[in-house]
Amino acid sequence: MATIVQLPRLSDTMEEGVIAKWHIKPGDTVKRGQLIAEIETDKATMEFESFDAGTVLALVAAEGETLPIGATIAVLGKPGEDPEQALAGAVKGKAAAKSTGDGDDAAGEPEPTSDETAVVEPEQTPAAKPPAKKKKKKSFTQQKVTSDVSSPVTEVPDPETDGDDGDDDAEGSDAEGSDADADDADDEDDEDDEDALAATPDDRGDRIAASPLARRLAREKGLSLADIPGSGPRGRVVKTDVEMAAKTAAKAAARRSGASLAPKPAGDTVVVLSQMRKAIARRMAKANAEIPHFYLTIVIDMGRVAAMRDEIAAADIKVSYNDFVLMGCAKALRVHPEVNAFWNGETIVRRGDVHLGIAVALDEGLVVPVLRHADTLTLSTIAATARELGTRARAKTLEASALSGSTFSVSNLGMFGIEAFSAVVNPGEGAILAVGGIADEAVVVEGQLGIGKRMRVTLSCDHRVMDGAAGARFLATLQGMLEHPMRLLA
Amino acid sequence: MASLQIREALRAAIDEEMARDERVFVMGEEVGYYDGAYKVTEGLLTKYGERRVVDTPIAEAGFAGVGIGAAMCGLRPIIEFMTFNFSAVAFDQILNNAAKIRQLTGGQFTLPIVFRGPNGAAHMLSSTHSQAFESFYCGFPGVKVVSVATPYDAKGLLKSAVRDDNPIIFFESEIMYANRGEVPDEEYLIPIGKADIKRACGEASKGNIPITVITWGQGVSVALAAAELAAKEGLDCEVIDLRTLRPLDDEAVLTSVRKTNRVILVYHGWPYGGTGAELSDRIQRLAFDHLDAPVLRVCYEDVNMPYAENLEQLVLPTAQKALEALREVAYRKV
Repeated sequence: MATIVQLPRLSDTMEEGVIAKWHIKPGDTVKRGQLIAEIETDKATMEFESFDAGTVLALVAAEGETLPIGATIAVLGKPGEDPEQALAGAVKGKAAAKSTGDGDDAAGEPEPTSDETAVVEPEQTPAAKPPAKKKKKKSFTQQKVTSDVSSPVTEVPDPETDGDDGDDDAEGSDAEGSDADADDADDEDDEDDEDALAATPDDRGDRIAASPLARRLAREKGLSLADIPGSGPRGRVVKTDVEMAAKTAAKAAARRSGASLAPKPAGDTVVVLSQMRKAIARRMAKANAEIPHFYLTIVIDMGRVAAMRDEIAAADIKVSYNDFVLMGCAKALRVHPEVNAFWNGETIVRRGDVHLGIAVALDEGLVVPVLRHADTLTLSTIAATARELGTRARAKTLEASALSGSTFSVSNLGMFGIEAFSAVVNPGEGAILAVGGIADEAVVVEGQLGIGKRMRVTLSCDHRVMDGAAGARFLATLQGMLEHPMRLLA
Repeated sequence: MASLQIREALRAAIDEEMARDERVFVMGEEVGYYDGAYKVTEGLLTKYGERRVVDTPIAEAGFAGVGIGAAMCGLRPIIEFMTFNFSAVAFDQILNNAAKIRQLTGGQFTLPIVFRGPNGAAHMLSSTHSQAFESFYCGFPGVKVVSVATPYDAKGLLKSAVRDDNPIIFFESEIMYANRGEVPDEEYLIPIGKADIKRACGEASKGNIPITVITWGQGVSVALAAAELAAKEGLDCEVIDLRTLRPLDDEAVLTSVRKTNRVILVYHGWPYGGTGAELSDRIQRLAFDHLDAPVLRVCYEDVNMPYAENLEQLVLPTAQKALEALREVAYRKV
């Protein structure tokens, strides 16, 4: 049975294409997946790999010719088979493309068309009128073929399966037999049913025929089934089509990065949500939607903290700048209980204890382990505990209780070179401190230009819980403690 | 290892079980003095006597019922149907007594009974003697159904069947009794409910498309022949012999289907309902996202079995028909 090769849709926006180069000539044997032509689209010159196998009976389109999607470009079949019969059947496909294209196109270009609009009523097709008793079945078959131009390969309807005006008996009955292997006691009925199903108008409209496996693979690879030509029966997209499409997408991506061709979209990757991602998404969306945030930024001179840290380090005790910030926050929260508070719907709850949440970044998200009773701890205890919490968070060995109960949080992105940023208040708290990096800066001190260590911190506040002045007073206290670290001991 | 025919393997199983357990006895038409219509029970009358090898009148409902009563009283009968076609006469006994008594009596009675004999078409036996009964007996929750294709499986499964406390329908085939195969000399049992991979497939690659072929009984040799033909075309069959049709070995089936994404069923039986339809249902339901093609069945055409040899050939599943189904699920056009 001869097979018509149609101009495939090779990009989302492609409406027509030019055969840039044929890689086959009449008489060649073509395998599935073999490169048969290069086709210029609106985006690039793409390689066209055959969806079918057979001997090239005819090349219908010439190199350089502009053609609409779905136009017949070649005929494959058995050696010695006459391509004319197949072409006669294919004319209606081409005519279909033309007739709707003309109507649609206001600019008046000769033959532009889009495959979505290339649907033709059976009556319009030039094929012979069906015998009366087969009328229903025949018209369905024809409609199926003519509207199938989005699939680059359409089987030419075999005279025998199509009606009773054919003379190729052996082949015709073969095709029928293989379709209804198990249940063909009443062959005729089955055939009618299948065609009727295939030709239901809305079936061809938005439902894409694809095997369950092909659907799953397309989903996993982030490919749209609509863009994948199906090589199975009735244009069904099957596994090999998805794999071929994935390969084409990969090749296109490789070409884009290597050569001078215009960029084409690479396939997106769909990331399945981890439980952690889901939790972050849910809580942050809720926080951003419900909490009226305002932000206060203050610059802190960290020169004395740096000096004090060096002195402590000399005694082989490891303390980070962030540990000073944690300690400062804990002490400042004791001074300003209105900041150590949260919105409880009808009331504001001022927390009795100071438990600091410390944001820890992980590969797949972040967690906020809790440093309990932080205001009662010494600097070295804060340092050791914070370090341990960080280590266990990254090793995912923290129990759930270590991740809840914080009254205020600190997030530090200084190590990434971030100067200043604003954080989202965690539901259940009234404020969060976003800590930037410490840098040597040109500063003016008492009229003299000098070099100073400066750090910027930004307090995000829940406006329902506190006002700007309350947040500002807290920041001033924190600034005072860090600029005069001896106060941390007081 | 001895090379045995299936009939000899079955006889060895019966002989060993009768020797092991004196409650085991054989009953059926011509099982004694005629040595069995297909010589399965040859020599057993001489060895065990008339008390344990019982010739019956041509009255299937009667001796099936006697067997069921004996099983209720603690014996372990092996009832031979000359062919399962005649089990139709005993259908009420099997369906309403054998399959139900254990549950009806709240477990007061167990039914350790085996109904065995040839099933399905053989060669020019015409429609009334070519019935395939799996679709009927597999429809009864109270029985287990076994179908064997090799001497090894025949012996191991018949011994397990005799020791099972439930009624077992045990399918054989006239055309397979003379088939030979290796059978271990030492005693062995094959558990009921376990399928067997008769031919394994390789990994999918360019030029090698693995396909699962599920089969049983007479279908096994058809499937293996089709697998040889298909191998020349790069279609690599994993032939799974179910061996037990109820309960089905879902795991063996699904593991293979998940690997190959394609499956055909090859069996002696009609397409409407039955084990083939049950498998199709389970596969689409339990491995839906793994299927790249519809499940196809190669079985009898949906007509009564013709007598004429040429017509019978057209109705039976053949390697050529199976090959065409294999090509179809591989989306190979020819």
